[in-house]
Amino acid sequence: MFYFLPIFLIVYLLAPRGMKNGALFLGSLFFYAWGEPKYVLLMIAEIAVIYLLGLVVEKYRGKPLAKAAAALAIVGSLCVLGVYKYADFFIGGVNHIVGVEWKPLQLALPIGISFYTFQMISYVVDVYRGTVKAQKNPISLGAYVAMFPQLIAGPIVRYQDIEIGLRERKLSVDKTAKGITRFAVGLGKKVILANSLGEIVALYGAAEEKTVLLSWIYAFAVSLQLYFDFSGYSDMAIGLGHILGFTFPENFDHPFESRSVTEFWRRWHMTLGTWFRDYLYIPMGGNRVGAARHILNILVVWMATGLWHGASMNFVLWGLYFGILLLVEKYFLAGLLKKSKVISHIYLSFLVLISFVLFSDTSLSNVGTAIANLFGIGVKGANAAGLYCLRNYGGVLLAALVGATSLPKLAVTRFFETNLGKLLSGALEILFVLAIFVTCTAFLVNGSYNPFLYFRF
Amino acid sequence: MKNKKNVILISLAGLYIFGLFLWCVLKPADEFSLTERRKLAQKPELTMETVLNGSFTSKFDTYSADQFPLRETFRTVNSFVSLYVLQRGDVNDIYVAKGYASKLEPEIHQDSVDWGLNRLQFILDKYVTDNKVVFAMVPDKNYYLAKQNGYPYLDYASFAQAFEKGLAGRTQIVDLTDTVTLNDYYRTDTHWSQDKLVPAVDKLGEALGVSVDKSYETRQAEAPFYGVYYGQSALPLPADTIKYLTNDKVNGFKVTCFDTGKGVEMPVYDLEKTTDKDPYEMFLGGPKALITIENPAADNGRHLILFRDSFGSSLAPLLATGYEKVTLVDIRYLSPAMVGRMVDFEGADVLFLYSVSVLNNCTGQFIK
Repeated sequence: MFYFLPIFLIVYLLAPRGMKNGALFLGSLFFYAWGEPKYVLLMIAEIAVIYLLGLVVEKYRGKPLAKAAAALAIVGSLCVLGVYKYADFFIGGVNHIVGVEWKPLQLALPIGISFYTFQMISYVVDVYRGTVKAQKNPISLGAYVAMFPQLIAGPIVRYQDIEIGLRERKLSVDKTAKGITRFAVGLGKKVILANSLGEIVALYGAAEEKTVLLSWIYAFAVSLQLYFDFSGYSDMAIGLGHILGFTFPENFDHPFESRSVTEFWRRWHMTLGTWFRDYLYIPMGGNRVGAARHILNILVVWMATGLWHGASMNFVLWGLYFGILLLVEKYFLAGLLKKSKVISHIYLSFLVLISFVLFSDTSLSNVGTAIANLFGIGVKGANAAGLYCLRNYGGVLLAALVGATSLPKLAVTRFFETNLGKLLSGALEILFVLAIFVTCTAFLVNGSYNPFLYFRF
Repeated sequence: MKNKKNVILISLAGLYIFGLFLWCVLKPADEFSLTERRKLAQKPELTMETVLNGSFTSKFDTYSADQFPLRETFRTVNSFVSLYVLQRGDVNDIYVAKGYASKLEPEIHQDSVDWGLNRLQFILDKYVTDNKVVFAMVPDKNYYLAKQNGYPYLDYASFAQAFEKGLAGRTQIVDLTDTVTLNDYYRTDTHWSQDKLVPAVDKLGEALGVSVDKSYETRQAEAPFYGVYYGQSALPLPADTIKYLTNDKVNGFKVTCFDTGKGVEMPVYDLEKTTDKDPYEMFLGGPKALITIENPAADNGRHLILFRDSFGSSLAPLLATGYEKVTLVDIRYLSPAMVGRMVDFEGADVLFLYSVSVLNNCTGQFIK
């Protein structure tokens, strides 16, 4: 934040209009290389291949060669993703089922590969469909694929979202100020809330004695940590996008306020949900097929959604869990959930908490124990460690619970509509941004727990 | 109006980010953090190998956090936000109750208990025959603070029982909890204050069968004492004062350190260290493997071998008023197997004096 960002911004702002994409591409490669020096070449190679195949697809649109080039781009990208992310999962499965002893590849996962693979696929498919024109400038395509603000944690930006921005974007005072405020909100979500919640998760993992109380604290903490971590990064990306002159799509819309799983997934990681809808679910036939095929489509899409999050059985089950719940809601519960706001909120909260317990541990045995612990199976109600955890992190949990709703935004909007609010809004916004910057700097300098949840994506 | 606000926002945010960037680049690197008592990371070597294997970037991240401008101020901001905004109970595992800072340590580390007992039993088996042997445990501040203030606490009864059981029939156990109170500790440090130790020393002397002095002149170091918890908590706690006890006997002590292989004389109280990185090291020079205190004023022929940690540094001079010679051994720096080559156990009393925190974390500290 205090080395890369200022240097990049100086270079980017000073670069002439025609070279801004070049500055963005090079800056993004440097940013990527900082965490993953070996895989920069892999990314450049993938961009080069996608660039060439994109041109072929456009040139031969409507002809078999276009289809072949698009298929090659999709299969090729997925193969790279498969080798680096899923090979060992597959090998482990084969070894387990067939009883052979294939050696795992043990390749390090390139950071953000799931995000940029999906962006590249959407680009080629959109060129094939004629939704967008192929990018003639490889640097501009490179800037799109490697764009550092959203490279490692989303949102998944489709080429059509920023096609115009890549060609002609204007930097403005309004947009920059908006971007800074949004960046500060995201930074605060990640550094102050998500990292503090991450400490609870680590504490639960290290606790010698699990109790019902500690298990529920963990379930809340891990769910909120994922939300604030993920949405915090998205906010930072959207904010930086504004500063750089782009407009990225929104990724989260207070998902914990939902009243059904269906609604939850319209508000949680929205760009992933719409990606799967447009590039997998609808091409498979969507809901314009018979009931059996529709059920199959849903289950395949959600299994893929789970697998996208990680190469492990818990992610597959996590995806299927949501797929089944969506089907149950569609065919049985849709009417019931509309009847009571309170019950539907409790229903959704409970299911989401359980889902994130499943999401957060690749050992299914640990997941089973953690869920059993929630209901007091084999553990006692509370102990001193659990009670202290509640005391020590009660403020963090409360802040996170309130912060996950739209209440703070609503309160601020209402206040800014008053005469006093109108008078103070500018000063308060400036103070808020500076306070967040100072506090986050303090948390980072102190070396607080700073996990990075996106290595596996 | 809105445009003016936006310009101010961009200017101030830019000033913050770019100002700190320039400061980071121009600021000379500090070697040592006095408050945290640790070496700070230095700029890593930039080579093709360190870049490709990722060690440069990870070390640079540590370096930039360690060398950040206004680091102490930012650490204090972190502590304030954690304690007073997020209402955390502790910061960096340090909590403050009744004005005393202490470190949370609620769990008994069984592997450490086992290893501690193993080392003490080894010494007893190898060196002790008909010597008088006493074992005493120094309670930490948590004993007086944690449970009473709602913090997780160590089960002291079980902890003490484990050592009593392990040493049963081999040593006399002395309970110091009734001779030490919370007020006897520094507010910002883990240690006890020497000027409050007379009752504890008296009780130990009684168990060992020696008469120790009870009358001393109390002096104090001029420099303020900011203890280890001051730095770890990064809270603006008021400084402590180091007080030390002296009398004619103490003034006549000859202290010799054998850490270099040769005997080197050193002062009982090294006041120069009160302005150094750890002022508590003024007592017998801080961590030393082997020290002797010779007391010319006592001609009773009594010799005490004190197996100890840093708590023993401030207690030993007072206990030495009852002995002709006291040998201090720290088995964190001297293997128990080697002790017999340097220390004569014949007719000597043996005192094991260890703090709860050292006994609960001695795995890897007590040498094999």
